[in-house]
Amino acid sequence: MDKENIFEKRESAPKADYVAATGVPLKKPSDVIPQKLLRAQLPLPNLGELDVVRHYSHLAQLNFSVDTHFYPLGSCTMKYNPKINESMARLEGFSAIHPYQSQDAIQGALELIYDFEQLLCEVTGMKRFTFQPSSGAQGELAGMLMIRKYHEIKKRKKTKVIIPDSAHGTNPATASMCGYQTIVIESDSGGLVDIDKLKKVVDDEVAAIMLTNPNTLGLFEERILEIKDIIHNKGGLLYYDGANLNPLLGITKPSLMGFDVIHLNLHKTFSTPHGCGGPGAGAVGVGEILEDFLPVPVVNKKNKSYYFDYAIKRSIGRLKSFYGNFTVLVRAYTYLLRLGKEGLLQTAHNAVINANYIKEKLKDYYEVPYPKTCMHEVVFSCTSQKEKGAAALDIAKRLIDYGIHPPTMYFPLIVKEALMVEPTETESKDTLDYFIKVMKEIDKEIDNDLEKVKDAPHTTPVKRVDEVKAARSPNLKWERTGV
Amino acid sequence: MPYILNTNEEIKQMLKAIGVDSVEELYSALPPEIKLKESLNLPSGLSEFDVKKKVTALSERNKPLEKYNSFLGAGCYDHYIPAAVSFILSRSQFLTAYTPYQSECSQGILQAIYEYQSYICLLTGMDVSNASLFDGASALAEAVLMTLRISRKKRVVISSTIHPEYKETLKTYLSGFDFMIEEFVPKSDGFFDLEKLRDTLRNDVGCVAFQSPNFLGLIEDAEKLSELAKKVQALTVMVTNPLSLAILKDPARSGVDIVCGDGQPLGGSLNFGGPSLGFIATKNENTRQMPGRIVGKTEDKKGDIAYCLTLQTREQHIRREKATSNICSNQSLNAIGAAVYLSLIGSEGLKEVALNSFRNTQYLYQRLKEVRGVKIPFEPRFFNEFVWEVENAPKIMNAFYDKNIIAGYFLGESFPQYKNSILSCCTEKKKKSEIDEMVFSLAEVLRG
Repeated sequence: MDKENIFEKRESAPKADYVAATGVPLKKPSDVIPQKLLRAQLPLPNLGELDVVRHYSHLAQLNFSVDTHFYPLGSCTMKYNPKINESMARLEGFSAIHPYQSQDAIQGALELIYDFEQLLCEVTGMKRFTFQPSSGAQGELAGMLMIRKYHEIKKRKKTKVIIPDSAHGTNPATASMCGYQTIVIESDSGGLVDIDKLKKVVDDEVAAIMLTNPNTLGLFEERILEIKDIIHNKGGLLYYDGANLNPLLGITKPSLMGFDVIHLNLHKTFSTPHGCGGPGAGAVGVGEILEDFLPVPVVNKKNKSYYFDYAIKRSIGRLKSFYGNFTVLVRAYTYLLRLGKEGLLQTAHNAVINANYIKEKLKDYYEVPYPKTCMHEVVFSCTSQKEKGAAALDIAKRLIDYGIHPPTMYFPLIVKEALMVEPTETESKDTLDYFIKVMKEIDKEIDNDLEKVKDAPHTTPVKRVDEVKAARSPNLKWERTGV
Repeated sequence: MPYILNTNEEIKQMLKAIGVDSVEELYSALPPEIKLKESLNLPSGLSEFDVKKKVTALSERNKPLEKYNSFLGAGCYDHYIPAAVSFILSRSQFLTAYTPYQSECSQGILQAIYEYQSYICLLTGMDVSNASLFDGASALAEAVLMTLRISRKKRVVISSTIHPEYKETLKTYLSGFDFMIEEFVPKSDGFFDLEKLRDTLRNDVGCVAFQSPNFLGLIEDAEKLSELAKKVQALTVMVTNPLSLAILKDPARSGVDIVCGDGQPLGGSLNFGGPSLGFIATKNENTRQMPGRIVGKTEDKKGDIAYCLTLQTREQHIRREKATSNICSNQSLNAIGAAVYLSLIGSEGLKEVALNSFRNTQYLYQRLKEVRGVKIPFEPRFFNEFVWEVENAPKIMNAFYDKNIIAGYFLGESFPQYKNSILSCCTEKKKKSEIDEMVFSLAEVLRG
């Protein structure tokens, strides 16, 4: 049932009883607003509450999620989202406060932000954080705009940003939004930044390098300190895309690797739920040299009381109204308190053990083009399966039939037929063994029953979706047919 | 340690399978000089009960808005949220799923977002909405960047009565490009200065951006503005409160090119200002310049209705440095929340919420007008907020606080020209008795 969308359902009697009118005079908009600025009709459906609840509950049931399925989506760190985080975020004292209340009525919120900042400074070695960005990408924008302004004030001509060919797509897109030209640097045969090539392209006009470490192949950039020197020697800065921080918690700090500015995806490393693609939060940390460039406001403390400080000399300004995705911070803070220092370390360890276990168990079945010890994720190449007729896409779709959300596909771009698997630390050996068994099974199916794999998924509410048609003749909203 | 399922025995087995003796061996790629020698200087983990106590205690040091008689709005509005909204959004299969890249196991998310897009189009009259942006402020920034890509021009005219934090955000977003922003102050009546626009608008302007209802609460004539902009082939961007569109003419019909704003009034919690969601909608011809994700309706290979992310060649993961924006994660859950809210409340319910907000605000306006010492600078052409002036406004606001009343938002903070002005808002939740109390208290405060 319920293939129909919300606009095609049977209508109920119109209702307006969630809030009763309060007895003020019933003035009409047309008394004070010119008629030509008013609307004639509002064509939304009127439905009954049960019908609406059933509709969306049913839609929920059509999805895979972390709570229901193994979700090894590489680079997205789909770890378990603890439920205590949710309870805390929904407390009235957090979810029902207004951003413009007087500061003495929001001291708890300010203290939480302040305390969370202190904890993250210790975890990362950075000097200060802003919590304004709503996502990793917006964090990148904040960080790179700070770098831009830093160079402007130093009156240095900077035109380029260096980005490895394995980088997330947000990195070059952000560099463009900051007016920089992107210089892509090829990885070496081991999957790491090619130092010789780096040396060749770095000159005085390099503003920064944007790096993920471990990189998107799941490999640690072993020569990070050399990279740091090469960039710093030319007056450039190091930007850390913290999407992959999870395996390094308590092991090292971005500051020790030489990064000047970093973002953390709180919805990845710090366990806040992804919510179908947001809201997340991109906390941005800076070392001392960029402290004066942070977005306003930051939270400071004076005589035991907390306040929003707007007096940042060279601030890049705001990236968002108000103070960021605050209730996401509440979740991440709760998580950090719950884990503590030992928990962070165990998180890192188990993330790395889980990924390497999968790699070891599957490497004879699926090629691992960069075979070094990996960190939090492993990238397989399905080229030999492709030769037999099944692409990475087919394997991904077949995994759905086994109740597993597909890994990230065709990324990083430097691996052909890539499947990028990030199990995270919260999965058990049992779950990993099941995944391993299924992957082997699919490999066998490719030999014995190729069509079954190519036709997959078989068990979902819809069969393989025609994305080409979707793009060729876009249907982006519901319209009453025949009108 | 919470949330780790592997036992020590299993970890041993796994390490053995990997072929190492200890987990430290897995970190041998790290240069020794960057490895921490000691554990982090952080507290040890706490039990769930202790964390709950600690975090709850922090929450109790905040005073929820409902404990006041509050007239605060200014971009974040205290509307009633039907209980069913948070129940639906708490469902694991919405809450803990990621972006619906894999259509076949994400049909529910995709359909819900498609419905959200459809709702935004119905409200705004536009042809196409995306799957959401972060908030109203960044939505304005993305909308303006869109117009500059389309027009290939470099100058932007903005109204100074756009939300001050939206304007700041816009300036930050544009700071990486060589675009020029010119800000128009309103006429003395609080409305956009159309004469000045007519006289100064030149062909190099690519965008005219304004807000309606504007930050002073006034409803602008979007049609006139759009007409003027069109004369120099500039595109118009209108920031709006989506709830106001329940009674106001849809922006598409007024000739606006891109409409954007914050979706928080559609069933979103206050959340201390975030997360909410940004919406953006435009006409068909601008679709390819839209930022962010878009869901489309299509078919599966059997010919059944199916949904998927579409037109992705605009986006960062495909286009990289040539993408229309760097946005990846958006605020999907809040967008789905808006769709659930609109479905629950329906067309009649939404009109009622908008009308009752309007009526309550008109009533407050009428009552304040009668108070000696209060001056109301603008005509009552507003939706749910308006400006009033009183001598020593900051002091008066403090006196209100002592009586547990928040009179509104102090305008002097961001608009020096309105140094004694307060922006007050009523939603449908306001009771007549609360409005009467506020007016009575003001009279009392003014008497000293």
